[in-house]
Amino acid sequence: MENVIEIRDLYKSFGTVRAVDGLSFRVKSGELFAFLGVNGAGKSTTISILSGQLKKDAGEVSVFGHDPAREKAAIARRIGVVFQTSALDQMLTVRDNLRSRAALYGITGEAFVKRLSELSELLSFTDLLDRTLGKLSGGQRRRIDVARALLHSPDLLILDEPTTGLDPQTRRQLWNVVNDLRKKTEMTVFLTTHYMEEAADADYIVILDAGKIAAEGTPLELKNRYAGDYLTVYGDAELPDFGYPVEKIRDAVRITLPDTGAATELILSHPELFRDYEITKGKMDDVFLSVTGKDLTGGDGR
Amino acid sequence: MKRFFELTRRDLKVFFKDKGLFISAMITPILLLVLYATFLARVYKDSFFAALPDGFTVDPKIIDATVAGQLISSLLAVSCVTVSFCANLLMISDKANGSIRDLTITPVKRSTLAGAYYFASAASTLIVTFAALAFGLGYIATQGWYLAASDVFLVILDVFLLTLFGTALSSCLHFFLSTNGQASAVGTVVSAGYGFICGAYMPISNFGAGLRRVLSFLPGTYGTSLLKNHLLGGVFDEMSAVGFTDEAITGIRESIDCRLFFYGREVTEPAMFAILLGAVLFFTGLFVLFHVVFKGEKAK
Repeated sequence: MENVIEIRDLYKSFGTVRAVDGLSFRVKSGELFAFLGVNGAGKSTTISILSGQLKKDAGEVSVFGHDPAREKAAIARRIGVVFQTSALDQMLTVRDNLRSRAALYGITGEAFVKRLSELSELLSFTDLLDRTLGKLSGGQRRRIDVARALLHSPDLLILDEPTTGLDPQTRRQLWNVVNDLRKKTEMTVFLTTHYMEEAADADYIVILDAGKIAAEGTPLELKNRYAGDYLTVYGDAELPDFGYPVEKIRDAVRITLPDTGAATELILSHPELFRDYEITKGKMDDVFLSVTGKDLTGGDGR
Repeated sequence: MKRFFELTRRDLKVFFKDKGLFISAMITPILLLVLYATFLARVYKDSFFAALPDGFTVDPKIIDATVAGQLISSLLAVSCVTVSFCANLLMISDKANGSIRDLTITPVKRSTLAGAYYFASAASTLIVTFAALAFGLGYIATQGWYLAASDVFLVILDVFLLTLFGTALSSCLHFFLSTNGQASAVGTVVSAGYGFICGAYMPISNFGAGLRRVLSFLPGTYGTSLLKNHLLGGVFDEMSAVGFTDEAITGIRESIDCRLFFYGREVTEPAMFAILLGAVLFFTGLFVLFHVVFKGEKAK
């Protein structure tokens, strides 16, 4: 599979603060790539460098085989970005906003009308076209942001915390649209998010801490490596001390184990105690906390 | 080219739909009008009558036309520059609210973006200043019309050049600003100070010799003088026709800055045009140079 993004030994500092510290990773074509880290970990700086908006201090960056610092125009046609906060004109209507941005990609006249119609149906904002952007709700505005990023049918969609603050329904709708597009067009998605359940669906995850990669892998690899397993035993059976942390929940007891092998071993050695039970993998939240020692709201978890 | 026009259209729409930007642009012209209407016009008129020799009578219409010409030339001189500074605030607010990221992420060239800001700022300022000019000419007509068609044409040219001067100057200054606080500070200084240093609020002839010499280096001073010459030329001709001596007319012209001097030498009208045009070209060139020199890092 072709690499859409290749970054090797990337460095970027702002004064004495090193925002990106020797970053190296690759994003393959068509995959959903999650880029995680607390605020200030270096995610947005990396995105700005990838999209040619910020110069790197050192290292190699390639997007679709082009250097963003020198061949920005070649990359700009192929990437769409949903920024953390809306970067559209709040006092213009949705239609005016999208028309002015589409023209910057050479989409004008009939081509624009057709594309606007497609996107407004896809993201359900046909009734909002003549409303002033600044007067829309957060969820409505976010849909317009996504439409703006998709105007030129990009091959790579960068989503910088796209669903922060959105209600569950709007989040689901956005993800349905993105997933549909991925299936139909093999669009690559580069995601930063604070919602671990969104990252859990990624093909590959990089966890960033203080500008460096703290962990990387598929969700399964990361869970196996950092999160351990949960063995939940239902009923009111009295369990002896197995030497693992145990938590009493409403109608069961949950044992935290280092991996699935340990769970299997425990069950096989005490089959009489395990009649009604369930083994579950740890969550991405556990992975993040274990890797960085922080929860994704920026606090110190340890 | 389509990208340039669409960006310009976007900039114009944002300016006219953003009440904050539009109202701040209109504040200086409106304040000046209120000042003149409430007391300055009367002060000017009284001083003219007081300066007339005893026993010399003059049609009040001539004095009214003189005061109106002074009023409108001052109004236009200040508005062309202060309105352009406000119209060009979009360049800063796009940086402050993040819109610039969404524009620079597209294949559009930075030079196209800068050109669109410049052109849209000049266009929106011209819409406002030409509206002010139309109002001003209407007001002069009610006070006493002594303007020839050539005078009106030259006033239009003055307004056009002064607007371009304001646009070029504000483009250079705004290039380095990135927050609304900085923009507000510059806007306040320009609004409060420009009228004084260009001779719009008070004739430069009233200042001391040292300050006069400093102000003679500022291009805006000559723009104000051009407007005064063209809006008052017909009135001076009429004064001559009704018996004012050449010495008296020369004295009046000097007192209200129709005649300006650079190190003792009178600056002619063609020289004033050349200075203003040169300033427009200089600051426009500087703006282009900034984009070339600071290319890349400004994308932040």
